[in-house]
Amino acid sequence: MKARLPLPLYLQFWDLFLIELSNWRWAWRNLVLTGTVLPVFGILLLGSFARELGSNALSFVLIGNLVMALLFEHMGKMISHFAYMKTAGSLDYFATLPVRKAMLILAASLAFFILFLPSLVVVLAGGALILRLQLQVNPLALVVVPLCALPLAGIGALMGVTFRTPEEASSVGRLLTILMLTAGPVLIPPDRLPDWLVWFGFLSPATYAASALRQVLLGPLTTRLLLDSAVLAACILFSFWMVDRKMDWREG
Amino acid sequence: MTSSPNPVYSVSSLTKTYAGMDTPANEAISFNVEQGVVFGLLGDNGAGKSTLVKQMANLLRPTSGVVNLYGRPVWEDPLLVPRHVGYMPQTARTLNSLTVSEALYFTAHLRGCGRRAANCERERLLHLWDLKDIRSELCSRLSGGQKRLLQLAAAMAGQPPILILDEPTNELAPQRRRHVWETLRAENRERGTTIVFITHDAIEAERAVQQVGIMHRGRLVALGKPSDLKKELNQQLRLTLRFQPDTPPDLPSDLRPQKLAEDHWLVFLDHDRAESTLSALDLSRIDDFHLHSATLEDLYLHYT
Repeated sequence: MKARLPLPLYLQFWDLFLIELSNWRWAWRNLVLTGTVLPVFGILLLGSFARELGSNALSFVLIGNLVMALLFEHMGKMISHFAYMKTAGSLDYFATLPVRKAMLILAASLAFFILFLPSLVVVLAGGALILRLQLQVNPLALVVVPLCALPLAGIGALMGVTFRTPEEASSVGRLLTILMLTAGPVLIPPDRLPDWLVWFGFLSPATYAASALRQVLLGPLTTRLLLDSAVLAACILFSFWMVDRKMDWREG
Repeated sequence: MTSSPNPVYSVSSLTKTYAGMDTPANEAISFNVEQGVVFGLLGDNGAGKSTLVKQMANLLRPTSGVVNLYGRPVWEDPLLVPRHVGYMPQTARTLNSLTVSEALYFTAHLRGCGRRAANCERERLLHLWDLKDIRSELCSRLSGGQKRLLQLAAAMAGQPPILILDEPTNELAPQRRRHVWETLRAENRERGTTIVFITHDAIEAERAVQQVGIMHRGRLVALGKPSDLKKELNQQLRLTLRFQPDTPPDLPSDLRPQKLAEDHWLVFLDHDRAESTLSALDLSRIDDFHLHSATLEDLYLHYT
């Protein structure tokens, strides 16, 4: 019986990360369109309405569109990627290699986040220019931005492995995206929303992501950032744990 | 169930019924695969072959029964199968975003080869499966046959001691199919690799197979060495004739051909009549003829 030992976890992660990163070869067109062009148009459109409401409303337009890009691109890509891997047999391929599921989930989440980063920078810089907002990027953004993206990646992966077909997963994903964008102060300031919707927003990770992003990209930092970060970190742990449980290598 | 001192795989009373289905995909299947054997699984479409090998690769949870690999249930340790088995699935849409070269490197490296060894393994496999010219092509742009060869190469990457191959020659041209069987035979001979494969191509599989299991409607209806199983068949020689439908050949009056098609006959001959029958045939009226003893295909047709 001649069998090799599995690679150390960090090497498993690195290989899987590079494999997942290779998805730029097909994903870049969508990243340009739905990850960059659509949010910029959203900023142009909503900005024209919000301008007369002041800089606070404009900050919600800018950050809300960033979150929208994260939801459509990052979470959406994870949904379609995991759903595709499930139906195309890629999960079977990985299941027959001596690698840990958790490494695959982490590698895919981080790789798609890296792929999304250029869009994020373009939307942020372009949006600030269009809305004439002064960016005040805090170094904490280096931690907070991934903290905002990874829970959405986890939710996307969970949906991708849960639903039977990629079409089903994408449809439910779009519905969830719209719900997360409209429930809570993501695109619209809380004083313009009914109270019940503001409270409802506390159930959505997008609300915490929008709040955290607003503080580290536009300032000022408040103690609310601690709550946002704690909730987002909990969302990451919970969603990744759920994907790990749900994504059984073996079909039932 | 055949008994052997050191089976690699031991499958016992294996049954799988998919959710929402009344009839099982496979039922009460028991057999052993010995170390270093080339084991062919034959059967018609929907016979349960792919379900069986997915259970052996620990990709499918059985409804009942046990699959042991080296004496341990495959689901006991999630790394037991991945460390010992190279699996080639029936579908060929994995790793679409990688190039051929990258796919082989990463598969070998993830199977535990060091970086240098993984690079060497990639070059060996590119050469072995004649993939050198398409090494920089994206997997998604390969033809069906090229994808099949890549999957075979990926299954062999890192030289696992066991290979499970689900229809390895599907979508391949005849000369490629021959190359596949020759390569698998060499792999088995030179490295002692245990090979379990599924195929519909009983004639070509005959060149490689040492033990055969024939599945029909979810059950294993025959199991053993082809030579032993063939003893149960008619021992006469088979003469197959192909011709133009409007000019069938004249045969001695006591020979009754089985008409497989209007241009295709099968005649059973006693050994001592082969020479005289062939001498009497008007070859100008025949497009093609074959004279052979019982084959794996006859065995397959007999049981299914």
